[in-house]
Amino acid sequence: MQNIINLLTRAIFMSTPLILGALGEVIAERTGMMMCAVEGIFLTGAWAGFAGCYLSGNMAVGFLAALICGMLVAMLYGFCTIYLTQHQIVMGTAVAILMTGFCTFFYRVVFGIPTSPLKIETLPVLKIPGLCRIPVIGQVLFSQNIITYITWLIVPVVFYVIYKTAAGLTIRSCGENPEAVEVAGINVRRIRFLAVMVGGCFGGVAGAYYSLCNVGMYNSEIISGRGWIAFGICFLGNWNPVGALLFGILFGISEAVGIYIKAVGGSGIPSELFSALPYMLVIVLTALRKQFNVPAKLGATYVKED
Amino acid sequence: MEQPVVELRGISKRFAKVLANDNVSMKIGKGEVVALLGENGAGKSTIMKILYGLYHETSGEIYVDGVRRRINSPKDAMDLGISMIQQHFSLVEAHTVTENIILGTVKGKIDFKKEEEAVQKLSDEYDFGVPAGARVGDLPVGIQQKVEILKALHRQTRILIMDEPTAVLMPQEIGTLMSFVRKFAEAGNSVIFITHKMKEVMEVADRIIIMRNGRITGEVRKDETDTKELARLMIGHDLEILSKEGTAEDAGRKKRLEVRHVTVQPKDAPAVLTDINFEIYEGEVFGIAGVSGNGQQELCEMIYGDLRPTSGEILLDGEDITPLGVAGRIEKGIGYCASDRYRYGMVANMSLAENMMLKASYLKKWDRHGVISWREVDRYTQKIIEDYQVKAPDASVPAGSLSGGNQQKVVVAREADMGSRLVIFDQPTRGLDLGAINNVQKVILRERSEGKSVLLISTELSELFELADRIAVMYQGRFMGIFDPQDLTTEKIGLLMAGVSMEEMTLRKEERTDE
Repeated sequence: MQNIINLLTRAIFMSTPLILGALGEVIAERTGMMMCAVEGIFLTGAWAGFAGCYLSGNMAVGFLAALICGMLVAMLYGFCTIYLTQHQIVMGTAVAILMTGFCTFFYRVVFGIPTSPLKIETLPVLKIPGLCRIPVIGQVLFSQNIITYITWLIVPVVFYVIYKTAAGLTIRSCGENPEAVEVAGINVRRIRFLAVMVGGCFGGVAGAYYSLCNVGMYNSEIISGRGWIAFGICFLGNWNPVGALLFGILFGISEAVGIYIKAVGGSGIPSELFSALPYMLVIVLTALRKQFNVPAKLGATYVKED
Repeated sequence: MEQPVVELRGISKRFAKVLANDNVSMKIGKGEVVALLGENGAGKSTIMKILYGLYHETSGEIYVDGVRRRINSPKDAMDLGISMIQQHFSLVEAHTVTENIILGTVKGKIDFKKEEEAVQKLSDEYDFGVPAGARVGDLPVGIQQKVEILKALHRQTRILIMDEPTAVLMPQEIGTLMSFVRKFAEAGNSVIFITHKMKEVMEVADRIIIMRNGRITGEVRKDETDTKELARLMIGHDLEILSKEGTAEDAGRKKRLEVRHVTVQPKDAPAVLTDINFEIYEGEVFGIAGVSGNGQQELCEMIYGDLRPTSGEILLDGEDITPLGVAGRIEKGIGYCASDRYRYGMVANMSLAENMMLKASYLKKWDRHGVISWREVDRYTQKIIEDYQVKAPDASVPAGSLSGGNQQKVVVAREADMGSRLVIFDQPTRGLDLGAINNVQKVILRERSEGKSVLLISTELSELFELADRIAVMYQGRFMGIFDPQDLTTEKIGLLMAGVSMEEMTLRKEERTDE
């Protein structure tokens, strides 16, 4: 029993950055921006978070650095795709690859090539007084770190903004028919750029979660495709924040199971297979899914005539 | 005129190389309906998009209520009470009517219930019958247009610009729209009505401004003009009178195409064509009338080889071509001008020359030892451009860069040339402007005088009366009969198209006289 509780605790822990990244993706994609630079944004966030925290000795500085750097990468992506009207997917992939080299390079510029990996203390667990005493869910849900709690709070906020406010209506309309938005007197490019910036902030913090909360160090394999999983979660969750939460948890579970089996070992099945579990899950679930509520103009460059 | 609500002074607009508007000036008065008349590409939409802030003028000035204004975006225009309904609607199909209407006018939290009630009230006020909570994509086009109008009304518009508003409407809906326009103007608002149809202009406008090649070529009051003058101002010269020489019944003409008792019966579905039986002589135009979707498309495809008959046979010059596929029939000299040229007639991104050989690339015509002789193709295309008066700089420009009418000329030219024996024209003039219609109709008559057979499908009765030697009326995949145009009236055709047979008509008449 305790094993299962531990497994679920771990699952919730691992799901946080995926949910956070997917939420950022939801906001950007609802305006029509297929932000596939997210893998690069995650990595940049992981690097900036670690560097910020290691150099200042302060967790908050680390997360702030990750947020800003994630936003800057997103702005680069947004500038190329929205204002220079370059192809979204090609640019996104290019930016993602660029950031891989960039982070490795600047890690060495800042820290040299250390003989043993540089480490920091990971973000501590923050037990919610009272609630954490509830059996089972007390440990699973209320003995997590602060970023996890904030992420849970962001889910309803994003939901509210998207479905209940004028800003949300504009965001959704931009992804469905940008011309209609322009005709209604709203600057489509600005809306898309802002949405991409917000997505970048979320992605940056999500990336920093891996370096600051999960392992307490940085290396270039730290993200290894988790950005793409967040990208997939956004699809599977039907561009809905609640969907992102649910699928984020599902992928958290699959990651935790992979880690658990690897740790226990002896099942006769190569543990690498379980590491691949989340990635296989993306393929299987996407293929099984019949109906997607894709924003009609997702990935389409909006060219304004004037 | 008293103080004009809107005044444009010397507006010019240049796109890269094209001068879309050249020194355009106009005044719009309060309570006035002004029609902006001109052919496609005359610059009507451009000048209005400048007034609405979607485009920015290269030079010139805009005055609203006598005050000079800079309109940088649609927001500025809307703040001045100007709204524009685009030709292709700017609606978010996945959203509800209310969401579409309030887009850009609300801030912060949206009280959807309250907004929906307000929209519904507005719709009821004008008797539009628009369900405020419905998804726009689920609504028919006529209602979608009303959503666009509501959007303008919701913003307290006093200057309403409508770009080709009738292009998508059914005849009854056009009537409703026209009466709305009149009512709206009588309430002291102004309407600018962009169109290329003269009939509408005469019906709704107080004043008509005619544009051609980016310039204003005339401005007339409706009661001081007629369609002939308007046509001349629009296209720059009088329309050529079509002349049809000879009749199809000349002795010794032989049957070109024979369709014998053809039925097309898809599996598990009602027959799309039932017992179609007719022949077309050489030098004859055989017209098909009918409401779209009554089997005309299938008839074309059956003759063209894309749809296999379940029973019956097709003969071309006495030879059975039923077993042949599309390619085989192209080689036999059948040309087909599809009703939707964008989908079936051309590749918009490819050059004119490439489009000319699109269907015949496998024929040996342009083949030099297995390699395409582009010089040959270019020369051929250049000749087509000249012969058919296609407005295009040369053979290398993409087909999509031409105006609709000129694209159709290219497709018509290719098919007329490919179809050495029979050419099928499926709604060849749909959506074209006057000059292009005139041009295409001339081609049809020229092919006829050259002895080719023509199958002409049209929903425009006047076109059939003008061009066809015999007319068949189609209803639910059957022929209601084949008639001499002289024996038909518009009223009779209308009844035949609705499925009332000639016998029933005489019966009804007798009953009436009996009473």
